[in-house]
Amino acid sequence: MERTPSAGLARSEHGQPSVRLAGVTRRFGPVVALAGADLVLHAGEVHALLGENGAGKSTLLGILGGMLRPDAGTVEIGGAPVVLRSPRDARSRGVGLVHQHFALVPALSVVENLALGQRSGRGGWALPHERVRAEAIAMIRRTGLEVPLDATIEELGVGERQRVEILKALLRDPPILALDEPTAVLTPREVDALFDLLRELVRGGRAVLLVAHKIDEVLRVADRVTVLRQGRTTLSAPRAEIDAPTLIRAMVGRDIQDAAAVGWGSERGARGGAVGEPVASLDKVRVREASGRLRLDDVSLTVCRGEIVGVAGVEGNGQRELALLLAGRIAADEGIVRVPARSGFVPQDRTREGLIADFDLVENVALALHDDARFRRGMLLRWAEIEQRAEEVRARFGVRAPDVRTRAGALSGGNQQRLVVGRELAGSPELVVAENPTRGLDFAATAFVHEELVRLARAEARSAIVLVSTDLDEVLALSDRVLVMTRGSLVPVDEAHRTREGVGALMLGGRDAVA
Amino acid sequence: MSEVELVLFLEASVRLGVPLALAAMGEAITERSGVINIGLEGSLIAGALGGALGALAFGGAGMGVLMGALAGLAVALVFAGFAVGLGTDQIITGTAITLGGLGMTGAIYQARFGVTGTALTLPTLAPVPMPVLADVPWLGSALFAQAPTAYLAYALAPALWYFLFRTAWGLELRAVGEHPDAAQAAGVRVRWVRFWATAFGGALAGVAGAHLALAHAGTFAENMSAGRGFIAIAVVVLGRWNPPLVLLAALFFGAASAFQFFLQALGLDLPYQLFLALPYLLTLAALAGWVGRSRAPAALAQAWPNAG
Amino acid sequence: MRWRERAAPVGVGAAAVAAAILLSGVLLGLGGYAPLDAGRALLGGAFGSADAFFSITLVRSVPLLLTGLAVALAFRAGVWNIGAEGQLYAGAIAGVWVGLLGAGLPAWVLGPSVLVAAALGGAVWALVPALMRLRLGVGEVITTILMNFLGIHLAAFLVHGPLQEARGVFPQTDQIDPAARLPVLLSGTRLHVGFIVALLLAVGLSLFLRRTRLGFHVRAVGASRDAASVAGRIDARRVTLVAFLGSGALAGLAGGVEVAGVTYALYEGLSPGWGYTAIAVALLARLEPMAVLATGVLFGALESGAGAMQRDAAIPAVWVIAIQALIILAVLALDQLRRRGVGGAASV
Repeated sequence: MERTPSAGLARSEHGQPSVRLAGVTRRFGPVVALAGADLVLHAGEVHALLGENGAGKSTLLGILGGMLRPDAGTVEIGGAPVVLRSPRDARSRGVGLVHQHFALVPALSVVENLALGQRSGRGGWALPHERVRAEAIAMIRRTGLEVPLDATIEELGVGERQRVEILKALLRDPPILALDEPTAVLTPREVDALFDLLRELVRGGRAVLLVAHKIDEVLRVADRVTVLRQGRTTLSAPRAEIDAPTLIRAMVGRDIQDAAAVGWGSERGARGGAVGEPVASLDKVRVREASGRLRLDDVSLTVCRGEIVGVAGVEGNGQRELALLLAGRIAADEGIVRVPARSGFVPQDRTREGLIADFDLVENVALALHDDARFRRGMLLRWAEIEQRAEEVRARFGVRAPDVRTRAGALSGGNQQRLVVGRELAGSPELVVAENPTRGLDFAATAFVHEELVRLARAEARSAIVLVSTDLDEVLALSDRVLVMTRGSLVPVDEAHRTREGVGALMLGGRDAVA
Repeated sequence: MSEVELVLFLEASVRLGVPLALAAMGEAITERSGVINIGLEGSLIAGALGGALGALAFGGAGMGVLMGALAGLAVALVFAGFAVGLGTDQIITGTAITLGGLGMTGAIYQARFGVTGTALTLPTLAPVPMPVLADVPWLGSALFAQAPTAYLAYALAPALWYFLFRTAWGLELRAVGEHPDAAQAAGVRVRWVRFWATAFGGALAGVAGAHLALAHAGTFAENMSAGRGFIAIAVVVLGRWNPPLVLLAALFFGAASAFQFFLQALGLDLPYQLFLALPYLLTLAALAGWVGRSRAPAALAQAWPNAG
Repeated sequence: MRWRERAAPVGVGAAAVAAAILLSGVLLGLGGYAPLDAGRALLGGAFGSADAFFSITLVRSVPLLLTGLAVALAFRAGVWNIGAEGQLYAGAIAGVWVGLLGAGLPAWVLGPSVLVAAALGGAVWALVPALMRLRLGVGEVITTILMNFLGIHLAAFLVHGPLQEARGVFPQTDQIDPAARLPVLLSGTRLHVGFIVALLLAVGLSLFLRRTRLGFHVRAVGASRDAASVAGRIDARRVTLVAFLGSGALAGLAGGVEVAGVTYALYEGLSPGWGYTAIAVALLARLEPMAVLATGVLFGALESGAGAMQRDAAIPAVWVIAIQALIILAVLALDQLRRRGVGGAASV
């Protein structure tokens, strides 16, 4: 077993930092992801790496984890400069990485996943399962990370999968543990449990690096904070010396309006005016998956003109089915569904479901228009009109592209999302369903999307907006009405519960639903 | 059916099933790593020609089998170079490899032996009866008085099962086929594994082809593989990518093909082409009836690393 | 920016052909042959004389144009139709049957009837794998290949049995009624109206894909099934079925046109693998119907030159199949290299 150096080595006698990254630069083609970033990690501290999406956090983590090589700059571990050639290399030097998108094989069991890549005494001929199982049980006892060792990953909920991912990293006893945005998929209670675990781990002498983009989380758990902006370190200070406004300014370079984006102060948001007539309704609706298991269980909901209905909840509780149902993309197995014939839908996976990378802007816009009588003439499509609409979308929604004939795949993530949002909102449809519409976007793009959604609801068109999001701050800040999706049921959130903790409580059973 | 006829039927079943079993078990390993090798037919026909030429050149069927394996391996490596190395689309690449294989073997054969194609006589791969086992009534001579390639197939089934499910290498192979990104994160060299798995499958298909030429037909003819490579791919599905089940499925297919002899013996006046068509009809029927109950490796046919 | 994006595929195509020819030459040289002689014989056989060009090359191109269009349509829709060969035979069978049955009918009725029957025959042959994919989730690659074998054997059975010529001597059908035959386009050559049919269909398919709603649906589903269904609210299953059947119909038509325009009868081995060559034709044309016109003729030239190559340079004609395979591989490889060379920006 590749036993990594014990925690003692990381906290070397001379008080050296566990990890020092200095002047790290990394490019991807024409894009500069890191332009001289610095990071210093000490043993016994929880260190938060903060920055908006696109600031360079994942790239820096990739370098620390051995997945990427820097173009310039130095990496020191335990005081000695190193060159990390692969994830295995990084692991052997004591870096344990917990990925954002779990590196787990769904069809295999937990034990098999833990054992993957390891060897027993007899090399590749035998399975190291027994030893791995024993080590896992011991680690579970020490950390309280409960996981069912013989279940397959596919059977586990998202929170459980993350626990497996963490366990996997801990099994090698790394003195340095780095977690990539772990809280995005957790319920508030699970976030608490995670933070407790992190504190426990640093007490044992480890260094923990937490990559985050939400300020309130950082303020809760970090001992030191480093802020990245556009590939550079703009701030590095102990917890005592910082506050929210300082962090915001370091992240974005100015004060911002959309606090929800930075995860600070989930304001209630200015409530809109009078709410109009119903636009869509679901009555005791049930949706099952192929195996017969219920995804939506007796869900009833009415959405009216001019209101923004927020649906909170972590992945796997049925939000996907709810969103698809409201947007008219799937049918219910039971119950009555009344939805408008035409509605806008911003799917959460924009590259797979929202856009066709090889199509240009015009053709992507056509995806929303081809059914519309105004854009077709019998069997033919009116391409001139569609192109005109594409131009309008590009201008009004600020899609940065050389022209409307550019391949959608060539656009940046933020611009792709502007395209999708613009396309779906442009016709001012009666109903817009937005699923995690700001995931992966930087603050500017996030603020833009929020603005457009709010404007659509409050403007003359007074569309109905259903915002389905795993980002609790976003939901709380934007919505007139909030509901929580938990295990296929929709639970309304009253004023008393309209806080992170309150919603978190409503997300119980306390345990994860199956993803 | 008399006892003699039954035994003959069983013998024919095994004899016809062996090449399918070898090719299919090889392909099962390949597919477990996430690669679907439509070029398997190309490896098979290359193995047949390689086996024929090898046997003639070295004067023995054993060397022929070895040459056949190498030929099949070579074809599979070309496929892997494109599909795994460059990441080209596996389906189209495989189709091209099969076309290329059929074309080149035809060209090489015609160049060496002339276009008129008077049948070649080859040293045959003779049946080697196993002592004691071959004397078991009914099944004995059917199973244990076969060419050595049959014994290879019997041995491979449990061996490959053990490899897949009881060794660390097998675990890594399966992980690559299910979720290559996760496997890479765990330190597995994804492309290396896929290369090996594809090469192995090609080598076995080559052995299957050599068996066709040396043990089954006793000669080489253009396009003599007759789609067995494709049928083998279907057999992998029916056997749920599990080597012992794949062997059974292949033998079952062999039995169905042998059935035509039984029908002929009955004296039924059925058109000759129906017998030729039977294996394909059977494969279609089997796929229609069985698929949906088994699950392919999740990353099957996906190029890795994924483009952007 | 746009012309460069458009021109690049043509460059890749030309480079692929060049690479394949070069490699073939090397392999032939290694095999002890004279590649230059082979090349000369091939070109001579394909373009050496007006007769060679019109009566052989273009005539041999027609089935390739039609099956090339069939494969292009299918691949565009994300349907891996490797079964054009079987669909061609099914179309030929249907066409011949109508051509024999309808003896006595006037030409303006019988001619089109034969072609329509052929198209229907091909579509029916494609229906089996289509349903197996849509209803049962069985991948169409293997099923369409299996149907190829069945189509070939069915044709063989028919010409040895029920449809065999009245004389009963050769395994072929009687000649179809003269009224069913396609008129010759250029007197003095064997170039028949089928060539025009192929041209019109290429134009039609191109317009269909670029201008119509259904054509847009086909392209969207082929490019991204998920985005088409979620963002586009397109019924991907219906579109897949339409593309499958349309592809089968085109391939079937190829069989019917060959029977009605060239052979006037059905026999074993009608197709020297056109359904498979069609894959190379379609890929080299980057699945663009108008480009298929060019690549189809190119491969027709290859095929007609192959006979001369065998005669004059003693290289087995079947070597041409290997060249086709090399072209496919070259296109795939160059495409992939071009894509890699662009280099993607990772998510930061």
